[in-house]
Amino acid sequence: MDDHFRLSDADRDRAAALLRDHFEAGRLTAEELNERLTVTLRATTFGDLRCVLADLPEPAPVPQQPSGLRSRAALERCYRRLLVFYPAQYRRVHEAEMLAVLMTAAPSGKRWPGIAEAADLILGALRVRLQPSRADPAEPAWRDALAVLSVILPVIVLLIYTVQEAQALRTFPAPGAFSDGFPLWALQGLTVPLAMVALALLRLQRAATLAAVGLLIWLVYVTGWPGWSLLYGTADAYILLALGLQIVAVAASPGPRRGLQILTWKHGALVVIATLIATLAFSITTYAVTLIVIAVICAALALASSLGRWLLLLLAIPAWPFFVPPLFITPWEIYLPSGLGFIGQAYLPPAALLVVFGIAARRESVRLSQFPPASR
Amino acid sequence: MTEPSLREPTFLILTALAAGAQHGYGIMTDVSQISGGQVRLRAGTLYAVLNRLAVERLIELDREEIVDGRLRRYYRLTPQGGHRLEAEVDRMRRHTAVAARRLGLLGGTP
Repeated sequence: MDDHFRLSDADRDRAAALLRDHFEAGRLTAEELNERLTVTLRATTFGDLRCVLADLPEPAPVPQQPSGLRSRAALERCYRRLLVFYPAQYRRVHEAEMLAVLMTAAPSGKRWPGIAEAADLILGALRVRLQPSRADPAEPAWRDALAVLSVILPVIVLLIYTVQEAQALRTFPAPGAFSDGFPLWALQGLTVPLAMVALALLRLQRAATLAAVGLLIWLVYVTGWPGWSLLYGTADAYILLALGLQIVAVAASPGPRRGLQILTWKHGALVVIATLIATLAFSITTYAVTLIVIAVICAALALASSLGRWLLLLLAIPAWPFFVPPLFITPWEIYLPSGLGFIGQAYLPPAALLVVFGIAARRESVRLSQFPPASR
Repeated sequence: MTEPSLREPTFLILTALAAGAQHGYGIMTDVSQISGGQVRLRAGTLYAVLNRLAVERLIELDREEIVDGRLRRYYRLTPQGGHRLEAEVDRMRRHTAVAARRLGLLGGTP
């Protein structure tokens, strides 16, 4: 073979195997073996390899070796394919190391990973995906609030829908309950935030955000631009705002995983109870009573912690349209076309709240960067 | 605060590292040896546990080596990890002592 011909991976593997044989035969020390292996793995032409093997005798021909090497390479490819299930960031750090362990543990002649082994790798990938990526350092409270929100917002929306559907059924008992068709869009409205949480928990934050943005655009498209045709109800406004806020929460926070670390079962129960009370008060009693109930819940949240105050500010964004029609008739609604007036009422105050949140979050981040808190 | 008891693979991995730093394959063979061949860790399980232990700061990276053109990463116990294993050993010792007493295994000996 001419020295200037280029090497294939199989050639390099064969040379490495030869070196190992010579090491086992005692012709090379461990140090020399390592040096020569490094050269071998970097070699590009047969000439490069000749220096590595120059002072070693030709080995007796081993007829089975090439096919053995081929099956090793095939096995390694299979393992590599299985490792794809791990998060990309984890793979960058651990792939080479795990492949080494897998290949060392595999008996020679093995061509395929066993079923149990493959299942164990996939399960391991799932477990790594569900574990926190590191012991998180202290986060600013606003980021924690967004992380908590990304968990509880879908729960709150789901609860509100369930209560409303249950009451619709009670008022108009079946079969007339869904006479104008099952509210399919409402179902999409709540499955998507839940799916977003699930995807983000699996470290697929970007996929979750993209899917939700797609749905948001589609929702606006099929129901008409907010305020123009079908969207004349508060429910449409708040589902759009809730979905938008959920996208912000998943995309701009450390994710629902962090939220779940902060939340305890007690918090979860409080969220469920407070939502149920507020929703039931909304549909059973008068607005005055509802306002008092909600004011009490808000006061409790505001007094609880700074995280509670951040949450209050954020939750006000999708909650706002609930209070629009009965409470205010704004001056602009009289002068503007009906649709535009509703847009102003339903979407301008939440937009203002989001701006307030953004400014407050920025100020807190600046303050934290000047005086970093002691680690927890 | 009492910590939950360690699961068997976790306990055995910490035990394997208690004697000194080891790499992934070393831990696998050591765990099998410690358990008398009863627990055979597979790579997926091993690395899921190692990842969690690293997140909880019970183990840390010791050093990296290239052997036979393959990466070996050595892990060691942190002081925290040592304490955690110690606490678990104490807990298990208390439980086995009670169990042995009640079975009369200790009562018979003078």
